[in-house]
Amino acid sequence: MNQPPIQTRALATEILYRLCTESVSLDHLFESHLKAVTGNREKAFVSDLCFGVVRWHPRLDFYLQQLLDKPIRQKNLKLRLLCWVGLYQIAYQRTADHGAVSATVNACDALSLQWAKAMVNAILRHFIRRQETIQQAADDNEVARYAHPAWLIQAIKTDWSDDWQAILEGNNQAPPMSLRINRRRTTRDEYARLLQEKSIEYREISACPQGLILESAYETGELPGFNEGLVSVQDGAAQLAAALLQAAPGHRVLDACAAPGGKTCHILEREPRLHSLLAVDIKNARLHKLRENLERLGLEAVIKTADVTQPDTWWDGEPFDRILVDAPCSATGVIRRHPDIKMLRQPADIDAIRTVQMNILDSLWPLLASDGKLLYVTCSIMRRENDEIIGNFLDQGQNVELDLIDQCPGTRTQYGCQILPGQQDLDGFYFARMKKIR
Amino acid sequence: MALLSVLHYPDPRLRNVARPVESIDDSIRTIARDMLETMYDEGGIGLAAIQVNIRQRIIVIDLSADRDQPLYLINPEILHAEGAEKMQEGCLSVPEYFDYVERAERIGYRYQDLNGETHEREADGLLAVCIQHEIDHLDGKLFIDYLSNLKQQRLRKKLEKQERQYAQVL
Repeated sequence: MNQPPIQTRALATEILYRLCTESVSLDHLFESHLKAVTGNREKAFVSDLCFGVVRWHPRLDFYLQQLLDKPIRQKNLKLRLLCWVGLYQIAYQRTADHGAVSATVNACDALSLQWAKAMVNAILRHFIRRQETIQQAADDNEVARYAHPAWLIQAIKTDWSDDWQAILEGNNQAPPMSLRINRRRTTRDEYARLLQEKSIEYREISACPQGLILESAYETGELPGFNEGLVSVQDGAAQLAAALLQAAPGHRVLDACAAPGGKTCHILEREPRLHSLLAVDIKNARLHKLRENLERLGLEAVIKTADVTQPDTWWDGEPFDRILVDAPCSATGVIRRHPDIKMLRQPADIDAIRTVQMNILDSLWPLLASDGKLLYVTCSIMRRENDEIIGNFLDQGQNVELDLIDQCPGTRTQYGCQILPGQQDLDGFYFARMKKIR
Repeated sequence: MALLSVLHYPDPRLRNVARPVESIDDSIRTIARDMLETMYDEGGIGLAAIQVNIRQRIIVIDLSADRDQPLYLINPEILHAEGAEKMQEGCLSVPEYFDYVERAERIGYRYQDLNGETHEREADGLLAVCIQHEIDHLDGKLFIDYLSNLKQQRLRKKLEKQERQYAQVL
């Protein structure tokens, strides 16, 4: 038996089509679509095509508009996506241009776009010929230049009038692979020696005492001691949460939106003498990752699948000394890791997410002990999800006062601390801490 | 080790039925290893002895990306089969033709390894499909037998045309 050769361009187009029509994340789509692909090179190629096209789609679409007399109609979405795939290869990949054209044209067969072959061929050939002029025009167009949807550029400009360009450019960089050393089992210096032995290049993350950045990406299985729990993969900004929570011996800790559990594990690694840690998340499917990580790292927590905004369904009535609210958010701080956010997020989403965020704070505040502290975290850079939420909550005045974060490794805001995407090579995160007063 | 030559449809020898291997000796082991080498050379994921004109019940399979996890199945038998699944198949004996065939989704199967030891295993997904495809070969069956008459006719025409073109080149 043998299998048909994989049409990598067609497969990438199918994945992008599902991303656009079903609003499912790329990570999720890769799990189902790349399983059947046996060759590792093909897998890597398809994933690079998808990530690249998603990251640069506003710019690729600008190219396409320059090459067409009238835009491709929405009912021919697949054709537009295939054109993006072709343009991406020519503009960003090292594939020989003629190879990219013929492979993209051939993908029409597998996508039932035979009728469009001549058109795809013409578009890509025109682009090759006029590339210099078109690239220049793209640099003069804001949406194409920064490769973000117009509404998102506007929203970021409004919130960050000085830094918006740096933020948008940071979002378009490929993210580094960052590690968190398990300090219960080793030290950063000791682990660095293990990396040296394997000739894996790294640098320290200055803001994170357990953090290292690798100079190139590896499979977790290739990392020394990964299976033995010496190390986890986690961005440096996410590593700041555990210290800011200030959990101490004897504390009851609640991790309210725990899955997949990077921060949960870090809290336990930092403080072995907690009274207890309860990890809650609404999605059971995401909690299995947390169980896996706890086991690998040799840590213990109580895990519950529940809606945190309904405490009577899961809370035993004992107040918590520390609560970590890693709130659902627009994820606009981690676009460099999840470029599909550029396509999936819609302007109206922010209002819906704000309601969830306020709801979580309102529901959990009564569960906090006197003198207890709540750390609010998002991977968003939108003030409406960050300082505005905290400001509103403080104004309501239910025994609450701000507990100002004194050492902020990013940009200080009115109530908290904002790391902007790419700042110190970290993801974009927001932190604010509040204290319950008698 | 040697490369064997693979028969191409519509060669009538593909319709032969293989007989069970009676004793697994060095000659059988050599055939199996040559078959594996031939399969790797042709870029296949499975090969049955009938395809290299050897009428014995021998199959080799390797589904791994790195081509380093060979399976040698001597006297393979399907014990039970459940479910149905359509997958696109191709065959080294029907070059450059691919089509969807429906087969059982999960199977239990029994075989002997190159040391003559008997194993019973379960399989699903691609492995289940591949084992069913190869055992068919040992019984003189091809995956295109499952296609509609019209599709089979078109395929024969296409192959005849290729043959004529090939003859002209010669």
